[in-house]
Amino acid sequence: MKKNLKYLVTLGLVAIMGATLLTGCGKKQDNKDGNTAGGKTKITFGIWDENQRPTMENLATAYEAKNNNVDVEIQLTPYKGGEYWTKLEASATGGTAPDVFWLNTLHAESYKDGGILLDLTDYITKSDLNLEENYPAALISMYKFDDKIYAIPKDFDTNALWYNKEIFDKAGVDYPTDDWTWDDFVATAQKLKDAGLDAGVYPLAAPLDFQTDYYPTVYANGGWILNADKTETGYEDPKTQEGIQVWIDLIKAGLSPDLATMTDTSADAMFEAGKLGMLLAGSYMTPQYMSNDGINKIINLVEFPEFNGVEPNIINGLGYAVYSGSKNKDAAVDFVLWLGSAEAMKIQGEGGAVISARNDAWQYFAATNPDLNLAAYTNHSDVAYPLPVCKSSAELYDLEANYLKWAYSGEKTLGEASKELKVEADAVLSKMNK
Amino acid sequence: MSDMAKTKPMRRKTTKREKKEWVAAYIFIAPLVIGIFVFYIYPFIQNFWFSFNDVNRFNISTFTGLENYKALIKDKELYRTLGNTIKYVIITVPVGICLSILIATLLNAKIRGTSIYRTIYFLPSVTMSVAIALVWKWMYNGEFGILNNILGAFGIEGQNWLSNPKTALYMVMIVGIWMSVGYNMIILLAGMQGISKSYYEAAAIDGAGPVKRFFKITIPMLTPTIFFVMITSIIGGFQVFDTIYMMIGKTSLAYESTQTLVMMFYRYAFDYGQKGYAAAISIVIFAIIMLITIFQFVMQKKWVNYD
Repeated sequence: MKKNLKYLVTLGLVAIMGATLLTGCGKKQDNKDGNTAGGKTKITFGIWDENQRPTMENLATAYEAKNNNVDVEIQLTPYKGGEYWTKLEASATGGTAPDVFWLNTLHAESYKDGGILLDLTDYITKSDLNLEENYPAALISMYKFDDKIYAIPKDFDTNALWYNKEIFDKAGVDYPTDDWTWDDFVATAQKLKDAGLDAGVYPLAAPLDFQTDYYPTVYANGGWILNADKTETGYEDPKTQEGIQVWIDLIKAGLSPDLATMTDTSADAMFEAGKLGMLLAGSYMTPQYMSNDGINKIINLVEFPEFNGVEPNIINGLGYAVYSGSKNKDAAVDFVLWLGSAEAMKIQGEGGAVISARNDAWQYFAATNPDLNLAAYTNHSDVAYPLPVCKSSAELYDLEANYLKWAYSGEKTLGEASKELKVEADAVLSKMNK
Repeated sequence: MSDMAKTKPMRRKTTKREKKEWVAAYIFIAPLVIGIFVFYIYPFIQNFWFSFNDVNRFNISTFTGLENYKALIKDKELYRTLGNTIKYVIITVPVGICLSILIATLLNAKIRGTSIYRTIYFLPSVTMSVAIALVWKWMYNGEFGILNNILGAFGIEGQNWLSNPKTALYMVMIVGIWMSVGYNMIILLAGMQGISKSYYEAAAIDGAGPVKRFFKITIPMLTPTIFFVMITSIIGGFQVFDTIYMMIGKTSLAYESTQTLVMMFYRYAFDYGQKGYAAAISIVIFAIIMLITIFQFVMQKKWVNYD
């Protein structure tokens, strides 16, 4: 009997060891010997979005056509679960990170501090790329620290109000319009509700989502989340709280599903299942909605409803960064500068997955789907507020969700939840600034 | 092997042939030993060192002494996650082991199709835990989940099981037990089949019924196996992560009541980029598991039967 057990244990251990060894050895030749491949300079290009892979491949091909001696190799690592960042951090520590990679605002500052990002300022000055003239200031500022530029803006996302025409038709209510105010939004939701919707169908959803939902209204209302020197949070400001409270009121009025329901089934999934009349969504959701045959024929979108006479929106975007330890720095920089050119931004825009960051390339996104009012995303992007970020953003967002959810569920008032949240969040900031 | 054991005490000069054999043996075990050093021992030492440092995302560290531990002792979250973890272990381990013994006993009987049943029960162990968690998450779903549908058929009102702070952890425990039963069952079954038939025959002649035989022969003879299963289950319980990570979202009302020690470690290490603090958490987890395991090895003399 003991023998049996021993065998099993040994077998198990051997299997585990074998597996570990295999995974350990599996991905050895990332780009160790990768300076030149067949006489060509090889540039590795780290990305995370499968939807954008074809567009990125088109960009690589277009660049290679102009530069015969360069070979761009795309390395895709999924974003989910932080896999992309975990791998990037490990490979940067080991000196083998991709030469060029996507970067988002959440990670920009800590990557800069970690010395992973190449300072592009001088390269840009010497090149014919004029950032100030061709890119929205909000996007440039996201990757600018101490007046040095660490990434070329790639794309941006804003938010707009999607609606399901079938639900509106059935209720006999007029479709939303671009010039809607917040009051129109709430009144129409009430009309939909009064018209008697099918079981499980709601006029709208107010998920606990900072970037898409409550940050736009907080900022439009004159509230704030993070002060300029990133030492204090604004959750106790009554204006901030008003911007959040309007969403909670939608749940209270029964116009939106309650928080528990939206945690079980995401608002996006409900909208895609035809269970929501209206939903605010980021521009990056467009490809997903439009590839869903269940709804793509019956949905359209309008601008974020005006709030207190202001066009509310939060703008955020990715950047192309160059790895400071790259063995082909010059080639990598040249590629990144080209990615910022009108030609590259046009290719990206026509891919239709994202809105290209360059001013002259916004239009291509809307043009990819003339049936939709996609201009709703770009009409007011010049006045959108940049997403507030700092080095501890990931921790702050978690705290925010953890405390605000009690206000969303009605177990605490927003005032109580915000008070506790501010104490915790400010403590995180003081730790960060130490 | 046995030859070498015999020659050892004689302390004579080792022959060339023996030396050759040793070299060969070392080469044979080298992959495993190197693997253990590279992937277990070295990271463990590095992790221990990290716990006394402030380490950023890129492993740039500054020595801070006991700062991480001092902050950790004051962190309410540590006690909350520790509480949740202990609750998880205290419920899943006994329930899981009892169920495994029960199923192993049933499958040890001479009935048709035992191998099919064994395969079915073992399936969860060879299925990706992420996939399992996703499927269960859908079954528990408040709107479309099969659980609420079944309850609805009996006129019982369902709820959002994974968003309710009162039910969420138990729902995750059910998945954890379901996943572990197959593996434990196979080990217990192996143990049961190692028990000599003559004991049962003798007991039957003396007039002992099946229940009595189970409690007087099977269980005592099985104690070494139960001990092994218990050790691995408790360690596994303290390290529970994937099901909770997959099933409980950050905006869930049940977030606080389901976060475990490893979840806390993961967030600090990979979401917040505070690897030093995360290392300290992992050392705490390690210390707890070690203490409990030592305690079990001491206590086993009282109940484990090695005859």
